[in-house]
Order: sequence, then C-alpha cells, then structure tokens
Amino acid sequence: MRSVLVEPFTPPFMGRALAELLLLALLAGVVSTFVLIRRLGFVADTMTHTVFPGVVVGFLAGGAGGVFPGALVAAAVTAVLLTLLTRSRRVTDDTALAVLLAAMFGVGVVLVSRRSSYSADLTAFLFGRLLAVTPTQLAQTAAVTGVVLLTLGLLAKELRLRAFDPQTAAAMGYRVWLLDLLLNLSVALVVVAAAQSVGTILVVALLVVPAATGRLLSDRLAVIAAVGVLAVAGAGYAGLVVSYHASVTYGLRLASGGTVVLALVALYLLALLVPLVRRRPSDVVA
Amino acid sequence: MAEQASGPATPTALPVGVALRIEHATVAYDGTPALQDVDAQVLPGETVALIGPNGAGKSTLIKAVLGLVPVTAGAITVLGKPPAAARRDVAYVPQADTLDPEFPISVAQVVLMGRYRRTGWLRRPGRADRRIAAEALAQVGLADRAGARFGTLSGGQRQRVLLARAIAQQPRLLLLDEPFNGVDALSQDALLTAIAALKRHGAAVVISTHDLTLAHLACDAACLLNRHMYGFGPVHDVITPALLRATYGSQALELRGDRVVVAHPVANRHA
Amino acid sequence: MKLRTLAVAAALTGLAAGLAACGDDAGTTAQPANAAGARLAVVATTTQVADFARNIGGDRVAVTQLIKPNIDPHDYEPTPADLTAIGAAKVLVKNGVGLEGWLDATISSAGFKGTTVDASTGVKIRQGEGDEADEADHGDPHIWHDPRNAKLMVQTIEKAFSAAAPADAATFAEHLADYSAKLDQLDADIAAKIGKLPAGDRKLVTNHDAFGYYIDRYQLQFVGSIIPSFDTSAELSAKDVDDIVAKIKQSGTKAVFSESSLPPKTAEAIARQAGVRVVAGEDALYGDTLGPEGSAGDTYLKMEAHNTDTIVKALGG
Repeated sequence: MRSVLVEPFTPPFMGRALAELLLLALLAGVVSTFVLIRRLGFVADTMTHTVFPGVVVGFLAGGAGGVFPGALVAAAVTAVLLTLLTRSRRVTDDTALAVLLAAMFGVGVVLVSRRSSYSADLTAFLFGRLLAVTPTQLAQTAAVTGVVLLTLGLLAKELRLRAFDPQTAAAMGYRVWLLDLLLNLSVALVVVAAAQSVGTILVVALLVVPAATGRLLSDRLAVIAAVGVLAVAGAGYAGLVVSYHASVTYGLRLASGGTVVLALVALYLLALLVPLVRRRPSDVVA
Repeated sequence: MAEQASGPATPTALPVGVALRIEHATVAYDGTPALQDVDAQVLPGETVALIGPNGAGKSTLIKAVLGLVPVTAGAITVLGKPPAAARRDVAYVPQADTLDPEFPISVAQVVLMGRYRRTGWLRRPGRADRRIAAEALAQVGLADRAGARFGTLSGGQRQRVLLARAIAQQPRLLLLDEPFNGVDALSQDALLTAIAALKRHGAAVVISTHDLTLAHLACDAACLLNRHMYGFGPVHDVITPALLRATYGSQALELRGDRVVVAHPVANRHA
Repeated sequence: MKLRTLAVAAALTGLAAGLAACGDDAGTTAQPANAAGARLAVVATTTQVADFARNIGGDRVAVTQLIKPNIDPHDYEPTPADLTAIGAAKVLVKNGVGLEGWLDATISSAGFKGTTVDASTGVKIRQGEGDEADEADHGDPHIWHDPRNAKLMVQTIEKAFSAAAPADAATFAEHLADYSAKLDQLDADIAAKIGKLPAGDRKLVTNHDAFGYYIDRYQLQFVGSIIPSFDTSAELSAKDVDDIVAKIKQSGTKAVFSESSLPPKTAEAIARQAGVRVVAGEDALYGDTLGPEGSAGDTYLKMEAHNTDTIVKALGG
C-alpha cells in the first residue's frame, strides 16, 4: 500500500509537482471562494486568455525566464482594464469581457505563429507542464501565494461586504472600485502562477470548482474556503498518484494536469451526492 | 394655504443641531437634472418621509446625502459637514430584496458588518462590537435567528436584519430606502418600533416610501418629490390630495377623503 | 477570524508535505559503475537514434525510447515513466540539430546525471529551405537520411557506450563494425537504384523538407515541398499552393509523395491540381520517424530501402 501511495513522490520531479499543487491548493482554494461570491467565473476565464500575449512576448523577449514577468504584466493590465471597463456603465460586463478576451488572445496567436515551431509552446501554455516544475517556479508560486493570501486575509471582511451588499459598502465609504481591483489582481496572479504548471485551460477549473464544492457542503464562508483548499490538495495528490502509476506500471499516458482536474471534478460530483444522503440543515450557521 | 408648502423658516446660517440640511440642491447626471432645487432639513429626533413616484429621484437624493453623487447646485450638509466627511455617523438601509438570498452569510455576520467602519481596516471586530451587534439584533426582535443563513429568513425579517445592521452602526442619521415594501405586518411593527427607539436616542431618520399611511404613522415631516420638490413640511400639511396630485401628476387617480389612490404603485427595484 | 487560522494551518501542512515529498532523492542519485552482467541503461529520444542505439548496444544495453513512431518530435511531452527512466539512465542519446527543443527542460526535471550524447557530432549540417529564424539557427535536423551521416552517428554512439561501460567496449566495437558495413551496403544499393532512373526524372516533391540530405547525397532534384518548412504544423497559404502547383507543372515531375506521419489530403489536393500521381498511405515515405513495428519502415535500414524503392517506382514507372 505504501508503495502505491508514497513511492510516486520519490523522484524529485514528482515531489516538486506535488509541492506546486499543494501551494496552488492554498492559493486557488481561497481565491475561488471570492470568485464564487463575486461571480467572477467569466472574469477568470477571460484572464486565462488575456495572459497569452504576455506569455508570448515574455518568451520572445527573455526565453523561458521571461514567461512569468510577461504573464504578470498582461494579467495586471487585464485586471486594471476590466475594473475600469465595468465601472463605466456604457458597456455591460459580459460584452467588455468577451471583447477583451478575443482581442488579446488573437494578438497572442498572431505573435506566436510568427515562430515556426510554436505548437509545443502553445501546448505547454494551454495544458501546462506539471512534471517540469522547476524550483524557481515553486518559489514564484510560493511568493504569489504569500502575497495574495495576505492581501485577501487582511481585506476579507471588506471583500465580503462588497460582494454581499455593494450599495451599503459604498454608503459606508468603502472604495468599491479599489476592492474590485485588488480582487481582480489576485485572480490574475492565480492565473499566472497556475498557468505554468497546470495550463490556462485548467486554471479556470481551479478557480471555480473548489469553492463550488465547498458551497455544496456549507453555508459558511470559512468552511467553503477550507473545503476548497482540501479539495485541490486531495485532487492534486490523487491525480499525481494515478497518472504516475498509469504511466509507470501500465504504460498508459494520462496527462498529469488533466488527471488532477478530473479528480477535482470527481470530488465535486461526490459533494453533489451529499444532500441525498442526509438533509442539509440550512439554518445551522454560526 | 400655498400649494407649494415651503418648509419651516430656514436661516442661512446653519443652526447647531440640524442633522441634515439640503439647501436648494440640484443633482444632474450627464447634464440632465435628476433632482432640481430641493430644499429641506431634518432635525435630530425627527423623521422625514420621502414620497414620490418611481424615478422621482428619491434614491438619487439618498445617494447625494451619502456623498455618492455630487451636487451640481446648492449644498447638502450632514451633521454640519460635507456628506463624504460625515459617513461615520450615517447609516444606510437598502431594500432587502436587492441582496442575494443564496449568499453564504449568517444573520449575525450581517449585523456585525455595521461595526466594520468603527473597527478599521486591519483589525477584527472585538467583543464589544459583537455585544453591540447582538443588542441591535435583539432590538428588531430576531435574536433567536442569529445563526441562520440570511437568505432563509422572510422578506420582512431580512429587512429587520438590515435595520439592525444600521442600528449597530450607532448612527446619528439613518437613511432607509423603501423599507416597508412587501413586508408583513409583524415585521412592519418591529421596524417601526426599532426606528422609534432610534429617534428617542436623538437620531434623525429619512424614510423613502410609497406607503402614505405609514408616512402618517411614523413620520413627523414629509418631502414630496418628483424631480422637483412639491412640498416639504409637517405630514398633515403636506400629504394632501392637492399636493399629491401635483407630485404624482397623471399617475394619481382617485380621491377618497384624505386618501389618494395612485395608478402605478410599488415597483420595488431601483437601478 | 477562522479564515486566517485555517490559511495558516493549511500553509504549514502544505509546506511540511511538500518538503517531505521533495526530500527523498534516493531513487535517482545512485549511479554506481556497471556491475558485470548489468546492462547499460540508455535513453534515446527519436526512433532513429533508438534504432542505432539498439544496434550498437545489442543485448548489453536496455534502451528506453521516448518518441514513439509517427509522433511529431517537435511536440513531445514526457510522461512520468519517461522521466523516471531518464533519471535512472547513464547515457542519453539525442539527434541534436535543434530537433529536441524540449529536451533540456525534461533532463533537468528528471534529475539526469549521466552523459548526453549528441549523435549529430561531426555531421556537416546543411541549411534548410525554411525561412523562419528559428530553424535557420540550427539547420536541417533530418541528418539520418544520408547513410554516411548515419555512420558518423553510430560511431559517436559507440564511443559513448564504450566510455560508459568499458567492460563491454569490445562488444560495442564489434556491433559498430557490423552495422557500418550494412550502412555502406545500403548506400551503394540506393545509389545504384537511383542511378537507373533517367537523369531528367529524378525530381522530388514531398510533404516537407525532410529529405534534404538524401537529395544532396543521391543528386535528386528538389522541386518543392508541400509544407514549406520543417515544422509539420505550419499551414499553407493560397499563394504557396499556387506556387507549388506551378513549379510541379513546370518541372514535369511524375509523382508527389506524402509522408507517413502527415495526412495525405494536402498532397492529394495539390497532385490533383497539378495532374500528377500521388504516392500516399501504405506507400508513403518515412520522413520524420521510423514506422511502427511490423511496418515497412520499422528499422532504419528497412526505412531507407523502402523510401528508395517507393521513389524509384513512382518516378520510373
């Protein structure tokens, strides 16, 4: 039993992949809670597309080491633009997002197709390279996790007020646009941190599924966040174990990033079953 | 008596103790005025009803008092200061049905939000804050529902919780946006009782409402608004058929003694 | 508030688990000298260099091949099994000339501590016809299609094997001699077959510029490729298509060849427009990789022979 559950992590590249996923569990688990209560799912999806030109430019300018700063810049720009666009009432949220998404992704595709062999880089961007996580990437993820958790932890009550009752938040004197910008930036940082390892397509899963799972099990924000963190951690562990054994023992190729996300969705489906097993006491909230 | 009843004589110098002074205020969005030349005031311990049809500018006036929209002519003074500076002592109560009932938050947590501004940015509400919040919740008669999710309460109960949150702010000026819409009789009673208690403590209260009976019951003065101000003064002077007809224009239909039936009542949502 | 405490607790747990998982290196650090009887652990990237490695190493090596037949080597994504094998290997054989762009990241990820062998050492690299800066840096990587290059490649491989497992050096040398002789024979055979074609008919139109070295060696004429770069994912513009059709008609070539690892539809479309024969499917040429086991091109020697026979048949008939 031990060999099945522990042995996969003896090679360093597997250990690093697990460490990266555990960090992402903390990061995405908490951020996805705010994505849930602010309904930022589409914003998160938009950002996974708009970081693309940043990744390409960063790569063209500075090789592999330029990807992270490039993505950061693109993500920050997106966060600012989105905050500005949705403040002005001339354009609805969805329209603004769709236009931004299409424009920036298009720019990225044009840029990247000027290189001859771009499909490998594009694949890496879309699907990630979980098994190629370097110690540098781990450090970057840890830094992002620290910054984001600190910010959100300090602002948690204000962010919750804004999500629940933006009118009263404004009436009390809170700068709603600033809170929105900070949260958008946090989401952007998660996209950047996670894209390198699990790819942008799967980042959206990490930003939406954990809190959705938590919401099925609890009415309390803190519990939802905790469930989210544990869900990603568990799915990360299970996904890595399964894809490792599939490859090493059975010669089956199961992309690690994709397997992790499938495990996460499986947990969500399990959570869906819970109300069938016992009635959810809807007013037991402390 | 004049059709346009002006308010009580208002000296240009602000006397100490006027909670809210709206001085010939005009508020415009993109050049079109939403409110024109509104002149009114509220003293501590006084309740003023804002009465008018939908789109009349009642919400705009409340936003202006909160400092969320600027005044393009005239002035608004809150507790002797410009609106933005006075927010600490001003509490706003929105309509309960503008809030998502599925939101993962408990009644107690909602009321505790009233203490956030006093707590400050980086600290958590302390024991004193929790005590104040609990007392506020008790004042609206919902202490037993503290642990429930906000959305599981009835509409009237949710409105009471939002009032409790405002009470927890210990405000000197309280602004309520259509608090009686769709509220059952029991909750209405609880709201009125709690508002009365605040009044006794010296808070000034502004209630925007469609309900003329309640305006009579709960308020000392009324302000009739439909972009312009059609009347301001003691309720009995101002809530008259003539003035109401002027305010509601073609929407006012029928006169029954001292009651006016309005053709398009209560559409609750505000933009 | 609970959120913060939970965040801290989770962080500590995560760190602890991460460190525990990272710490254990035992699986890959040990690289003792090969005990007598133990086979040399070798990882080879492409199908061709893997074939060479097996021929030189015989049963004294255990070769793990990364890229399977008919997979595009530009896009390869290593699996946990591959990474584990690389971590445990003593020798890694690569084709070189920029074909394995992903290899460096993979090697460092896997914790490889052995010797990397660049099989293209000593081979004269030709510039490709592609106009992208990327490929111009490295040149045309399809060096193996000239059997004389293959000879150089297996020599380099043999040297590396003998250095890593001196006990078996004699065996490796023997295998090298055998295989080099076969390569010489192959070279002569191809030259003879092509020599039988009338000089004017030695024209090659194929899917992409994979056969540069073959064409140079056997003095064929390259009319154009259907995908005008080394990357199999590059697309053709309408102008490109017209250019090629015009060139084909102008050159009077008799057949258009499609590569086994690419869909034949593109080739067929152009052949129809230009009015020539299409050689695709079962009779296709092997450009990028060897064929799967059991196919006509599952070893290097068979592949080169098959390609030659296919070309000669189509152009001669």
